[in-house]
Amino acid sequence: MIEIKDLTVARGKRIVVDNFSATLVPASITAITGPNGCGKSTLAQAIAGDLKYQSGQITIAGRELQTITLEEQAELRSVVEQNRNYWLSFTAREVIAMGQSKANLARMEGVMKRLQIADYADQSVTTLSGGQAQRIDLARALIRDTPIYIFDEPLSAQDSQSKVRVIEEFKAMRSAGKTLIVIAHSDRESLSWCDQIIDFTHH
Amino acid sequence: MRKSFIALALLLFASVIGLALGTSDVAEVWQIIFNPFTDTGSLSHQIVWELRGTRIAAAILVGASLGIAGTLAQGSTNNPLAEPTILGTSAGAALGVLLGVLSNLVEIGSVGAVLFAACGALLVTTLVFSLAHSALSLITVGIGVSAIVSALVGLTLTAVNRPDARSISFWTFGSFALVTPSDLLILAPLLLLGSLAAWKLAPHLDLLSLGDAAVRHIGQRPQRIRYQSFIVLSILVAASVSLVGSISFLALAAPHIARYLFGPRNRSVVLNSAIVGALILLVADIASRSVVPPYELPIGLLTSLIGAPILIATLKRGKDVWR
Repeated sequence: MIEIKDLTVARGKRIVVDNFSATLVPASITAITGPNGCGKSTLAQAIAGDLKYQSGQITIAGRELQTITLEEQAELRSVVEQNRNYWLSFTAREVIAMGQSKANLARMEGVMKRLQIADYADQSVTTLSGGQAQRIDLARALIRDTPIYIFDEPLSAQDSQSKVRVIEEFKAMRSAGKTLIVIAHSDRESLSWCDQIIDFTHH
Repeated sequence: MRKSFIALALLLFASVIGLALGTSDVAEVWQIIFNPFTDTGSLSHQIVWELRGTRIAAAILVGASLGIAGTLAQGSTNNPLAEPTILGTSAGAALGVLLGVLSNLVEIGSVGAVLFAACGALLVTTLVFSLAHSALSLITVGIGVSAIVSALVGLTLTAVNRPDARSISFWTFGSFALVTPSDLLILAPLLLLGSLAAWKLAPHLDLLSLGDAAVRHIGQRPQRIRYQSFIVLSILVAASVSLVGSISFLALAAPHIARYLFGPRNRSVVLNSAIVGALILLVADIASRSVVPPYELPIGLLTSLIGAPILIATLKRGKDVWR
């Protein structure tokens, strides 16, 4: 369970998230939508523990986020960031495996197969398309077993077939009791698979 | 693995050539090289094994140290252009030694001088990193701070003019002319320690290439990895700079060449950029003392002349820009 109460986050002097509150229950998918620059990604980064917030609270399983250590946060949530630039020609497989525990590595082949990464697993990540690279980041998160997952625009570079596949993965995770936060650009109709849609336009 | 062995064989071959070539002609030089334990008291034997041998060993140790230092600099800042000269590490090390020598606390060639150099190197590197806020500004800030620190080194030397503080040319381009066998006893253990530490840090640098957030998301601390790398980098650069001066370009080129030949995994880059760095510096040193005998060319100019074309060719042939 994630409770966000009167959250205010600033970037420099500009207040980006202003007095925002929401409750995210286990076994649910929450979409946060809104136009560019409305602060969706900032909110996601605050929940991920990447940004300090000025006032308000984020509590995860009853504990205030800013009192939870980095190591403990890693046990609680997995994050997929928006965009990643690779400058070293590691293979897709190497990137997915980086820093992962043995238990996570055991899930790797299955996740790669379901996300259709197997075809380009041994290709250099510097040669991949945007959609292929995005699925590598998804795989890095999906092979981890945490109660919470935060995805920043996970479908933005995916074609319609891949979108369906990824959404199926999300639904399966929800059935397994996970809490999913999905930052999305899309309109309400295309997010019918989500349980809660928060329009961030006015925050 | 096969390519690493070929590189090692080349290193051995270059070492033998290095024993044979030099500013003075030695009669029956091959006999002396292949019979190292006979007639050890002769002048020829001393020239070949003590003078040239020491230089060759120093070139290999310094080249390997700088190769590893470049790998740590690029990996820890996630920047393919980072290297000790650009990050201010080398200039900081030079200023550190100089301050130690001028305050009569240490002499060049001592462990104390390396300690002063390491403190200077770490301070300036940390300063550059903390002033920068992007990959590009790291390079521009680094060049700026390096220029200031190098200018301070030059001004201090001009003002003080003490022979035991060495020359501007020594601190700017480096030189193996004054290397002694006891210097090897400082370089070798520090290189060993530095390479072990770099080997341990390497998988963390792989992860760091995905960005700081990706490291935090799996519960590791990017700044810790970075500062541990800075410490090892500073010690390796300090050992080299305090004994043979600043040698530019090698630490930039060696990791790129190693990545092109052996792939991007940092453990492999640590090992192979050490071999590549040693090989380039050894060849440069042999050239520096055998091109226009009896004069010796500044080693830093030759590392640029030899390393730069290899780097350009490597990057041009690479499938993507920054392998």
